[in-house]
Amino acid sequence: MDAVVSTAKLNSNEIFDLMKQFITEVIGEEFVEEMDITMESSFTKDLEMDSIEIVSFSEKIKAHFGEQIDFTGWLSNMDLDQLINLNLGTIVNYIEECQ
Amino acid sequence: MSKFLFVVPPFFGHVSPTLSIGASLIAKGHDVKWFGVTPLADSHIPEGGEYIYPRNDLIEHQDELQRILKRQDDGPACSGPEVMKLALEETYVPVARIMMKGLSKFVEAWKPDVIINDCITFAGALCAYIKGIPCVTTTPVPPDVMGDTANSAPKIFEWQENLIKGLQREFGVNGDDIVIHSHKMNIVFTSEEFAGIQDSMPHMKFVGPVKGRPNHAEFDWERLGKATTPKVFVSLGTLLVDIRKEFFGKLIEAFADAPVTIVAATNPDIFEQWPDNFIVNGFVPQAELMPKMDAVICHGGFNTVNDTFINGLPMLITPIAYDHFHTARLIENAGCGIKIRYKRLRIEDMRKAVFELLENPVYRNASLRIKETFIAAGGNDKAVQLLEEFV
Repeated sequence: MDAVVSTAKLNSNEIFDLMKQFITEVIGEEFVEEMDITMESSFTKDLEMDSIEIVSFSEKIKAHFGEQIDFTGWLSNMDLDQLINLNLGTIVNYIEECQ
Repeated sequence: MSKFLFVVPPFFGHVSPTLSIGASLIAKGHDVKWFGVTPLADSHIPEGGEYIYPRNDLIEHQDELQRILKRQDDGPACSGPEVMKLALEETYVPVARIMMKGLSKFVEAWKPDVIINDCITFAGALCAYIKGIPCVTTTPVPPDVMGDTANSAPKIFEWQENLIKGLQREFGVNGDDIVIHSHKMNIVFTSEEFAGIQDSMPHMKFVGPVKGRPNHAEFDWERLGKATTPKVFVSLGTLLVDIRKEFFGKLIEAFADAPVTIVAATNPDIFEQWPDNFIVNGFVPQAELMPKMDAVICHGGFNTVNDTFINGLPMLITPIAYDHFHTARLIENAGCGIKIRYKRLRIEDMRKAVFELLENPVYRNASLRIKETFIAAGGNDKAVQLLEEFV
């Protein structure tokens, strides 16, 4: 389960797959099937995640990686354009650097 | 007798509660006018009141204004941060700029005792500040929609402040004070309990829903009277024109021939035929209709939310954009409804949710608790009392 804090360092492909898994858990398999999730997928626009979904996505990241990654803090320091343009690749890079 | 001027935006949901308290003010002998930048049919204006539309002052802005209005159709397809931009940067601030000239002229000519600006109609409070006229703000939605951005999202807070101060400076208001809302009185059309707000600032006055605006819409009461199954009212409000067909298509899929009677407020033209258990009207006498309903489905437009809970009904809320998500969270917190986000709406879930609302009394009981807080907030009488004391 993702409640166990993982200590193994993941590469970017593994992080991408994990993010995809979290996204599927948050928004539901049926809706993910209609989407082509790539590193370029924008978080709010392509994946259409609302604030509540982003919060549960953040919680999954926290449960998996623990305190080493402050995803919510990272998001809260963004301006509007950064949030609008935020894509999965940026998140994968951020997590990779934080590990 | 005092002169009250309501300054309203080109969105009927925000105008609606001002028409109701305006009617009550007129009944008490006050002189009441409205000022807006799109025409409004006379039938909406309470008898004795007047709506001012400054046609000539708007000629130079007409292209921009039409572009802004058309842009609202993009709302449902926008993400949260895009909607913030659409609302503040592309709508509220430019509409205020467009309004200022005609509004200043009218205020100088009519000399209102109080200007009452709707919360997204910044020109009202800005003009009042410049001319030294007392100002009250009306807020039809629960406040705090954006949350505490000063602490949770400092860059977004800074962006908001810069846009508003930039607008103020254009009209010669320099300095750091925000003057696009009243700091003396803000009348909010919900209860503190429903809004989930404790220890609000003393100028925030929660009066609950208001009623009494003119609504001459006709309705086939006889047909409704013959319905034997539970009655579910469905509304998408006055905006969101583009997704109307899709939304009601899903509704038909979920409830055609189901043991419910659907009373839908939408233009029937979108489909050639409706199922027999659907009663569809473009305009409905919503306030009269609501007490006869058993449940409500809506996207979270605030007037329908108020009409629902003042009647103690449970709601399926399908938030689409704007402040709908915030409202949906309040409904879930209060326990008086079920939320399914429109973009994640499955037909089967919608059907299940509606029958759960009809069969499980917990939602109705929670709604009745909200109803009590709404009634205790005082409604029209309280709003009129506050405004008369304010003059």
